[in-house]
Amino acid sequence: MQKTKFPAVAATFIVCFVFWVLLDFSFKVEELIAGAVVSLLVALFSARFFIQEDAGWFFNPSHLFAMIGFWFFTFVGELIKANLNMARICFGGCKDINPGIVKVPTEMKSDYGLAALSNSITLTPGTITMEATEEDGQNYLYVHWINVQETDPEKAGEAIKGTLEKGLRRVWQ
Amino acid sequence: MLIRIIIDLLIAVGLVFACAGTIGILKMPDPFSRMQAATCISTLGMLGVAVGGVLYAAVIMHSASSAIKIAVIALMIMVTNPVGSHAIAKGAYSHGYRPEKKMETDDLGRDFDE
Repeated sequence: MQKTKFPAVAATFIVCFVFWVLLDFSFKVEELIAGAVVSLLVALFSARFFIQEDAGWFFNPSHLFAMIGFWFFTFVGELIKANLNMARICFGGCKDINPGIVKVPTEMKSDYGLAALSNSITLTPGTITMEATEEDGQNYLYVHWINVQETDPEKAGEAIKGTLEKGLRRVWQ
Repeated sequence: MLIRIIIDLLIAVGLVFACAGTIGILKMPDPFSRMQAATCISTLGMLGVAVGGVLYAAVIMHSASSAIKIAVIALMIMVTNPVGSHAIAKGAYSHGYRPEKKMETDDLGRDFDE
């Protein structure tokens, strides 16, 4: 268990406080003070679970804009494509499926990068990340795929997460 | 008037995807495939309705706080849904559930079920 560090507490405090303001949406001074106190308490207790690596990562504008560009353009495009595909399968009577679990290698190194990539894969209809492992310094994801077209790991990885991984690697290494 | 048509279209698109997901849940042969179909509901099905709701709250109700609350709800669903799907799928698999029809390829079983 690592110790609580000041940058981690500050970053957690900012995230908590922004959520308080968004949900409460009243700008009276007493409400803002109450929110700040609660956010500070939560940040003090939970910062070491919430942030394990560099806390200032997102406050760097280039990372932030890369992230926003990824979620609002690349990811939404992939999401719409996969949703149309899944809707076609469902309205067609669910006959056109060929489920299987494939193991795909990934270039992601950091924990946050892996988490973001596997969550994006799970959010896309048609693929669910089941497990992540590391073998000899190379990270692998086990992905349940509704319509297996490739069993070769490299090609399957390209088909499942090619675009997502390219977009995410601009944010995390 | 145009904005009202756009809002209705967005909500209708969301409902079409939710309908597709529901048909998938009822007709898919095994739980893993059923969860794949259910993802449809919580992504585009939810997003269509949520974006429609945000536009409705902002443009027709003139209530910024409602619009932001709907946006935060959509964000929260998008963040928490994959964690839940992953946990259910992994739990079902490690509990020993396998589809009746043999899967095309099963690398997870090959590597962990020695």
